[in-house]
Amino acid sequence: MAVSFPSVEYFEALREKMAAHQDKFQRLGFIDTTFGVSVANNGKSRSFILEFEVYELKSVREVPSVDPRQVDFVLVGDSRVWREMIENIRRNGEADTSHDINTLAHLGEQLKIVYDSPDGHDKLYRFMESIQEFFDLTSQVDVSFNQ
Amino acid sequence: MAFYADKDYTQDQEVLEKMNQVMAGNLGLGWYDARTEKIKGRPRDLRRGLTYQDLDIGSYGYSKIPEFIRDNQSMVARGSEKVGKLPDMGYVLNRKSDVWSDNVTTLYEEAKSRRWAPAVDVPWTELDRNPLPHELEAACAQLYTFLQECALVSMDFPSRWVPLVNQDLIELKSFMCAQMLDGSRLLEAFRKRALYGGAGLGRASVSAEQGLKEWLWADTYPQGSVSINLSLAGLLLAVYRHVAAFAPSRVDRRLMGYAMQDAARQVSYGLGALRYHLRHQPAQAAAMNQYLDDTEHVILALLGSPELLEPLIIISGGGLEREQVKAGRLATAKLIRLAVREYLERLEAAGLSGRPGNSRIPQAIERIQVEA
Amino acid sequence: MAYLATRNFLEDKDFVDKWLYTIRTGELDLSWMKSATEKVKPHEANPRRGLTYRDLDIGNYGFSALPEKVRENRSYAPRGAEIPAGVPDSQPWVSRKSELWAFNTESYYEEAVSRQWNATTDIPWDRLESAELPETIGKALSQLMTFLTEVEMIATDTPAMWLPRLNPDFIEVKAFIAAQAMDEARHTEVFRKRALTTGWGLMQASPMNEMALKHLRDADSFSEMSVALHLVAEGNVLTMFRFSEYLSPTDVDKKIFRLVMQDEARHVGYGMQHFKYVLEHFPEKREVLHAHLDEAENISFAGAAATELTESFIILAGGGLKRENIEEGIRITTIFNLKQMQEHFERLEKCGMPERKERSKLYMMYEMGKAAAEAAGIRV
Ligand SMILES: [Fe+2]
Ligand SMILES: [Fe+2]
Repeated sequence: MAVSFPSVEYFEALREKMAAHQDKFQRLGFIDTTFGVSVANNGKSRSFILEFEVYELKSVREVPSVDPRQVDFVLVGDSRVWREMIENIRRNGEADTSHDINTLAHLGEQLKIVYDSPDGHDKLYRFMESIQEFFDLTSQVDVSFNQ
Repeated sequence: MAFYADKDYTQDQEVLEKMNQVMAGNLGLGWYDARTEKIKGRPRDLRRGLTYQDLDIGSYGYSKIPEFIRDNQSMVARGSEKVGKLPDMGYVLNRKSDVWSDNVTTLYEEAKSRRWAPAVDVPWTELDRNPLPHELEAACAQLYTFLQECALVSMDFPSRWVPLVNQDLIELKSFMCAQMLDGSRLLEAFRKRALYGGAGLGRASVSAEQGLKEWLWADTYPQGSVSINLSLAGLLLAVYRHVAAFAPSRVDRRLMGYAMQDAARQVSYGLGALRYHLRHQPAQAAAMNQYLDDTEHVILALLGSPELLEPLIIISGGGLEREQVKAGRLATAKLIRLAVREYLERLEAAGLSGRPGNSRIPQAIERIQVEA
Repeated sequence: MAYLATRNFLEDKDFVDKWLYTIRTGELDLSWMKSATEKVKPHEANPRRGLTYRDLDIGNYGFSALPEKVRENRSYAPRGAEIPAGVPDSQPWVSRKSELWAFNTESYYEEAVSRQWNATTDIPWDRLESAELPETIGKALSQLMTFLTEVEMIATDTPAMWLPRLNPDFIEVKAFIAAQAMDEARHTEVFRKRALTTGWGLMQASPMNEMALKHLRDADSFSEMSVALHLVAEGNVLTMFRFSEYLSPTDVDKKIFRLVMQDEARHVGYGMQHFKYVLEHFPEKREVLHAHLDEAENISFAGAAATELTESFIILAGGGLKRENIEEGIRITTIFNLKQMQEHFERLEKCGMPERKERSKLYMMYEMGKAAAEAAGIRV
């Protein structure tokens, strides 16, 4: 059954896949970061907080909005950008260079990285390979778009 | 320099007697009731194993390291009982706030956990199946030549200082060792990438090397650390992200993905160490500002060196056609602004306020224009 | 100590203008594209190993082409790049290949990167919960671990001190040292962690062994440093790890010693291959190395007076403090001591210094010790 994007169910589905691929994530190493994901659509947005610990996604929850001071960083973007990313991953099995998190966020033109402190911001790069691998698991999840 | 033992021990009756006594079964057991704290450390979280944080206990913990380490110049393990005549190893970094950062144990554990191996973790042979156009490959060869110069200096820096750091700061010394291996691994990966593409190495950069040597040879560790761990690593982190975003091949993208993880750890330490330093030695802020005034020109020596700038333009634009070069210039100009903005943010976050006003770098950056 | 670049680049108008001009107009200089460097095409000799430093041993990029005296590069430029005038001098102290080279340096490094392990996660620490040791064994183990954590970091500090002093053309050696530094940090860590999980904490420092540490670090040349560190000290430690694995009171300790042994064997391997290389390629150095070995062996012998170590070893070897335990402990420790010396001389002989035995006081002590042991019915 397809999970809709954006939703807690979508991230929960990725969480399950992550648990099923522990070997991959253990090889990449500890991932200790809590970050936000914000998806904007027609002036409204839905936000989620993802808490990673050791090799796992410990929790995910939806929040009315993310306070950058409560997390390491927030990935903010239009639902169109997120959708393109997801569809790209579904097509290729993993994001291609134009659709990976780093590229989308690099110059702030597709996704924006909002952060309060540079320490938090730098965690995006410290754990980049794991974070990308996490989103790439979308290739194993059926996703529908409800917005 | 050589250190010679105080006597010929093979001829020393006292030593022979001591040894004979023990081997005759007359154990002295002077160590048996060592006056040390008795603890049994255990992992807090089994998934994570037994970390240095788990052992931050009592007299063994790093939290208890004093600001001034006056009672140890030997290699005695922190927390064990000191006896007899111990040598003076000549450490010059004996003040915790000259080197420490609150995240140092986290970063050490992370460095080990997130290790990689350039020989096998980069899909090298994809470059055979999809070779790059000549000018793009030449640009890569030049870029990776430049990055090797930077990686060499990043490896030399912790090596230079680690033997001078007091042994009580063992977790920090261990992190410096991890930095050495990180530096060496990047040097290796960049060399392999440059040569594998078939274009050979490019040209060394006079301006970059002059600047790098000024940073590497800083008088004090706190100064050198700001330059190498915060300024240089921060700048390289931005470059790695940029090359990953405009990666001409999957090889480059994968390589840069790993490189950014290593560089980001270095930056996190650089920022944390400066913060700790200024928090405990606030009077050093003025000196640090002065040091940056004097040495910030190196940022320009790096960003302005044609051996970096031109390949970056070509790689970001995808080639040498007029339109490609224009797109490349636009992207590279954005990268430069981004790198400088993040550099100033980090200094600010470390507690060195007012830097954007004092630094001459922003003025230089403001003069950048990109014509059609 | 500070070095000042030949120019302040912010004040160098030509430099800044050229930079701005390039970005503004897109008129690239591209002179670097015409670098007079060799074009080569490496390939993975063994795809399962991936792309190794040995695969890059081609033309003037290769380590095989390194001259005995590096005269051309003294900067931070990677070997084989075009070096323009004006690059700084990195002030290397060692620019002579035979002073530091080892046969197979590159493969020791590749092996190190490939076989990195993690003291935090690769040791089954949780199993110690159910492994209560008797007091004597626990304390003896803690004392052994105290000694080991005390000495391991010197094997970082010593080569690390030399790393920035080596000509940058010797990348493979620099890389090996960087990897060794990390190996030793991990050893310090794993032994410290084990001591702090016995319930007894760390025990007593070892002044005799600390003297050895100072000697190791303060050598006059890289080659002397390597002989004392990689061959003598780490050789001794390697034998010790093998015995410690055998004496380990728990399977957790066995695992620890097996893992550190792998690393240590690599360091000793480099040391032997360097020793061989320097004797073959720099014959004048032989006497200098003999003289340094005189000192290193003297200090190595002094370690016998470190009773806190010998005694804990005896207890671990014999399994306790009862009379019969001590007797058995002494038997094994005697074999260990002799084995350490025997292997030391075997290594020297294998590397091309068979005459060492005739000159060495330590060898005399070894022969006396062996005779005494045999008289006591202990067969080595
Ligand atoms: Fe070791
Ligand atoms: Fe070693």
